[in-house]
Amino acid sequence: MTVTATDVVKSFGNFAALNGVSLDARPGEFLALLGPSGSGKTTLLRILAGLDFPDSGRIEIGGEDMSNAAARDRRVGFVFQHYALFRHMTVADNIGFGLTVRPRATRPPRREIARRVSELLDLVQLSHIGGRYPSQLSGGQRQRVALARALAVEPRILLLDEPFGALDAKVRKDLRRWLRSVHDRMGLTSVFVTHDQEEALDLADRVVVMDHGRIEQVDTPEALWDRPASAFVCDFLGGANRIACHVSGGSVDIGGVRLPNSAPACGDGPATAFVRPHEFALAEPGTAGVPVTLRRILRTGARPALETATADGSVLEVIADAADHLAAGAALTLVPLAVRAYPAA
Amino acid sequence: MRNNATTEPAWLRWALITLALGFLALNLLLPLLAVFGEALRKGITAYVAGIREPDAIAALRLTLTVAAIAVPLNIIIGLAASWAIAKFDFRWKSVLITLIDLPFSVSPVVAGLIYVLLFGLQGWFGPWLRAHDVQVIFAVPGLVLATVFVTFPFVARELIPLMEEQGRDEEEAALSLGASGLSTFWHVTLPNVRWGLMYGVLLCNARAMGEFGAVSVVSGHIRGKTNTLPLHIEILYNEYNFVAAFAVASILAGLALVTLVAKSLLEWRFAGQLAGRGH
Repeated sequence: MTVTATDVVKSFGNFAALNGVSLDARPGEFLALLGPSGSGKTTLLRILAGLDFPDSGRIEIGGEDMSNAAARDRRVGFVFQHYALFRHMTVADNIGFGLTVRPRATRPPRREIARRVSELLDLVQLSHIGGRYPSQLSGGQRQRVALARALAVEPRILLLDEPFGALDAKVRKDLRRWLRSVHDRMGLTSVFVTHDQEEALDLADRVVVMDHGRIEQVDTPEALWDRPASAFVCDFLGGANRIACHVSGGSVDIGGVRLPNSAPACGDGPATAFVRPHEFALAEPGTAGVPVTLRRILRTGARPALETATADGSVLEVIADAADHLAAGAALTLVPLAVRAYPAA
Repeated sequence: MRNNATTEPAWLRWALITLALGFLALNLLLPLLAVFGEALRKGITAYVAGIREPDAIAALRLTLTVAAIAVPLNIIIGLAASWAIAKFDFRWKSVLITLIDLPFSVSPVVAGLIYVLLFGLQGWFGPWLRAHDVQVIFAVPGLVLATVFVTFPFVARELIPLMEEQGRDEEEAALSLGASGLSTFWHVTLPNVRWGLMYGVLLCNARAMGEFGAVSVVSGHIRGKTNTLPLHIEILYNEYNFVAAFAVASILAGLALVTLVAKSLLEWRFAGQLAGRGH
């Protein structure tokens, strides 16, 4: 089912949450809305669901104009950040809710509802706890109940608001793989909101990067990673070090090292370069590059990360092999190997 | 040994507990015992005679009637007001919240006088009401109005914080699952506040049966007709008919005790939900 938003504007009082956002999700696509808090991603999701209404603009679902349709008429499954399970109902009653509240004419018979509920309980691997109450479940279980409840009404699209936000790291990773497989198996069109770039890049077919109520870039994870369209996107995708540089004739000069600019065209003049931690080589002091002092070595991942500081005190993070012989306080030169430069802000 | 940072020394704890219990015994328990003591002073026959007197029975019936009308009215209005306040955003919301508290801050006597001013013979609507042969003041409708006014905040005040704490997520979930506004209220909002609602209703009922000031102004004190239990007790007392006065008072106290026990049971069983923490 196609989902299209066209020129959507929404403000809350003086705060402009969405400044003319246009977007489309293709049938079967898993789309991520990625951005910092306040970027308007949740507002956009709620407008798609009919839980908020745009000041202007148009929402279409499956080619039908839904701009003013009530939430209950949109046939959209919504999974809330904090699950919003009905606390006085059992898991099974939660899942069956969307079917039992249908008007008599379209309500399936009781036995059909029970069958559908047990099917969904199987799908979310919770058949053994259909009789429990939400307060008796773990976070990951609640999340799966919320998903089953949304799927029970056979939604045309599935919307998820920070679906893994409240879960711990291990559960989060398992659950997102599982969610992706459910999406693929059921042939859904899904849109989910997240502020976690790793999650967005890992899970989505395409990622919509948002900031200040605008869309910065819509692309596949690979394209987003390889060709960030703006300094914001490059910065938000994470980890990149910012270094002042000079651009002339399409090449970037950092401390005497000249490299082609991997970012889209950036005019000549002073610019900000983004270099990812693994895109540095270490060299002896005195070589062309960025002279730094080693502050400490962090061993959080498979390869050690070096926290270094330039003469003016800005911190650069480097991931490099062969760091074992180094000690804090050592003088080094960082030689950038690849760089993306954007006009200095 | 102190095993907890917030625990005070033993002597202080015992002093505070003794002080609180002593105060309660002196101000609450003693008068309650006195009521029953006075009522039974001339024996059980005098007590029964005081209660079985036709005017007393009429007063009891009237009190129960007024409560039976006022309490359901306030359940409906209180639910509507707290639903609107907790689940929707609109202009003048804070004004509405202030208005709900008005009956707590206004003296009940003033409330009664307002109704006399509005519906009395010389009042704003008086001539129209008389032309249509409707009597409000010195009749049951006036008693109900005054009671509704005085007891209005109990249900709403109990429900607003509870509903606000629960937020709108569950309602939004219900709507996105295809439920109508009414079935969302019926299947989601109402069950979530049911124990808080019952608590509010008990308090509302206790006050409705015991209200004196506002009711006294609009009643007209017609024996056997417009005297509620509290008013009837006052009349008996003023006539130096102490045994009968205390006998009737013991009925009122009994009703209050039943309410109190019911409330305690609720608190004990559903403490978490009453405090607004959900399950």
